[in-house]
Amino acid sequence: MFQGLQFEPVKLPQSSVALRAEVRAFVEGELAADYLRNSDFNAGESAEFSQRLGQQGWIGMTWPKQYGGAERSFLDRYVVTEELLAAGAPVGAHWIADRQSGGQLLKFGTEAQRLEYLPRIVRGECYFSIGMSEPDTGSDLASVRTSAVKVDGGWCLNGSKIWSSGAHMNHYMIALVRTEAQSSNRHAGLSQFIVDLHDPNVTVKGILNLAGDSDFNHVFFDDVFVPDANIIGTPGNGWEQVVSELGYERSGPERFLSAFRVLVEFIREVGDNPTAAQLALIGRLLANLVTLRRMSISVAGMLEAGKTPITEAALIKDLGNTYERLVPELIRVLAPAKTSQRFQNTLHQCILHAPSFTLRGGTREILRGVIARGLGLR
Amino acid sequence: MNEQQLITDTIRRILQDQCTKATVDAAEAGVWPAGLWQTLEDNGLTLAGISEASGGTGGELAASLLIIREAASVGTPLPLAETFIAARLCELVGAQMPPGPVTVSGSTFTLTQEGAGYRLQGQAEGVAFANQCSTLIVVANDASGAYLCLVPLAEISQTVTQTMAGEPQSDFSINCLLPADAVFGSTEDLAAQLWCLGAATRSVMMAGAMTSILEQSVQYAMERQQFGRPIAQFQAIQQQLAVLAGEVAACQRAADSLNEALVPLNEFDIAIAKARISEAVGSATDIAHQVHGAMGYTMEHSLNLRTRRLWCWRDEYGNEDYWQQSIGRYVVAQGADNTWKTITDAG
Repeated sequence: MFQGLQFEPVKLPQSSVALRAEVRAFVEGELAADYLRNSDFNAGESAEFSQRLGQQGWIGMTWPKQYGGAERSFLDRYVVTEELLAAGAPVGAHWIADRQSGGQLLKFGTEAQRLEYLPRIVRGECYFSIGMSEPDTGSDLASVRTSAVKVDGGWCLNGSKIWSSGAHMNHYMIALVRTEAQSSNRHAGLSQFIVDLHDPNVTVKGILNLAGDSDFNHVFFDDVFVPDANIIGTPGNGWEQVVSELGYERSGPERFLSAFRVLVEFIREVGDNPTAAQLALIGRLLANLVTLRRMSISVAGMLEAGKTPITEAALIKDLGNTYERLVPELIRVLAPAKTSQRFQNTLHQCILHAPSFTLRGGTREILRGVIARGLGLR
Repeated sequence: MNEQQLITDTIRRILQDQCTKATVDAAEAGVWPAGLWQTLEDNGLTLAGISEASGGTGGELAASLLIIREAASVGTPLPLAETFIAARLCELVGAQMPPGPVTVSGSTFTLTQEGAGYRLQGQAEGVAFANQCSTLIVVANDASGAYLCLVPLAEISQTVTQTMAGEPQSDFSINCLLPADAVFGSTEDLAAQLWCLGAATRSVMMAGAMTSILEQSVQYAMERQQFGRPIAQFQAIQQQLAVLAGEVAACQRAADSLNEALVPLNEFDIAIAKARISEAVGSATDIAHQVHGAMGYTMEHSLNLRTRRLWCWRDEYGNEDYWQQSIGRYVVAQGADNTWKTITDAG
């Protein structure tokens, strides 16, 4: 009776078993012994790691071969992404391009755009940022003010985008901008453009987050010329395209694994003589994680079947974020009196970044609104 | 129409006709719904998935889980889970399942040879629906193995009380002689089978009732008007119901895993389901009751047929703390660096 509450059990295919072993062995070979593993997809980036991953064929792996892809299933892709996150590998550089930008180009882009960008993304050499939020536009995405005005041979962009992770290191941004004046239909008149972040009229200013990292940015456009060739899909169709992007953005394992390394280090700390409360906490976190993972695999199965699981994705993200937000809070109070430096660093990094978990990719309130729509309440 | 859909449609039709709120209320007042049991039995729904050799109607074990889940979603006051567990244990030891409703106890009993038969001794508390069953099935262990004992209840005294949900339960102090043909030896760990089947059935029962309280809560929010509009239009209500939906979806998914967890017995998956679903009951019933307001707190409203049962089932056959610790012990024993492997091995 409800939309989006059914998560049909999906078994990972036999092909993914061998793939999992390969990825696991590869990552263990890549990470130095003293590397502080972090399962937050946004926590570390390494162009070198991304390129080595690309050489393995593990970026853009569901895409057609003519664009460099491996034409593998979403379930295989699921295995690769979760193995990278669980190991705490530095995946930040290519993550967005692999997860959603490439998919947008594949779905809505021109043949020329696909040939131009996808093979470079696949090689781990080309990185994208998301350009959705603006200083006055957060959850209310339809209120974007950054505008593009038609000029000879292209468009002239003015305005700014904010919270764009990695924009200071990435090559391109897919920006959602207004190409027609706002009408009574707030969702009309929006378009998506590929913007070159190295354009001289683009200014990228870093914003320090509370952990002291400069990961996200404020990106300014001052009369940036974007050629016609860089518009994605149909002018005015931006809203529909953005909504379709969210199924990919919200349902993956990065929505519940961000705190995974904290759990691993906690299990290491409790050692051979855990208290009953510590055992119960480990069991509680496992029971939630195993279930979330199974739900997320169900969604990978829906993506593979060509469905657009918007409500399911929102539901996984809300449940998953609530979970990963809880992990450091519950572990903190049950940690042994004396703990290792590694445990403390892992825990503290997680606590400092945890406020972002329930904001990025759609706030908890927006997600619950999407779920409520699936329930028929709005 | 596939087998599963056929079973779902059949059980739903029967329950809609014969398991109304009045039926459940009457059962709470002591009226056994004999007609409902008979209809279910006539339709082969009380022993689905149990081999014909053991007295069942054949098919997949998952069929029984489906029936038990559907029945639980409307608070069916019958020992369907207990009968299924008993039948499954009979099947495992090659015994013939006694007719009618049968109950089980997870307490440990001792068995000693006496004459041509055996003496069975032990205590059992909170045995569900024992006052309506002719047979109690228990497990006794000795040095040589496990034994399934079929205990006729006619001549054994029992103290009957009611659970929080108003369902009958009995306490026993048993010291009786059993004929040799009522005792079945087995190389299986029957006690673990019984306990896990109990946890698995309670898990699917909770999943069924959880889905049902979400449906009731959404419907109520759309009908109930306050401040001139349905309360479903208020964001405060929408957000609460979205949280409830998330918990329910997780419980459904956890319960779905049990279809393949019974043969061979997958204790890890059963632990995951019982821990996850029992954990959800507190917050889920809190939201359902809050949305229903004072109306949902009355005996008259059917919400309590589900929520009172959920409050019982979450504690039966191991509460969430019990199963969480069991998972925790397993994970710790694998070592910190194998945690992820444990998770992916679970599938």
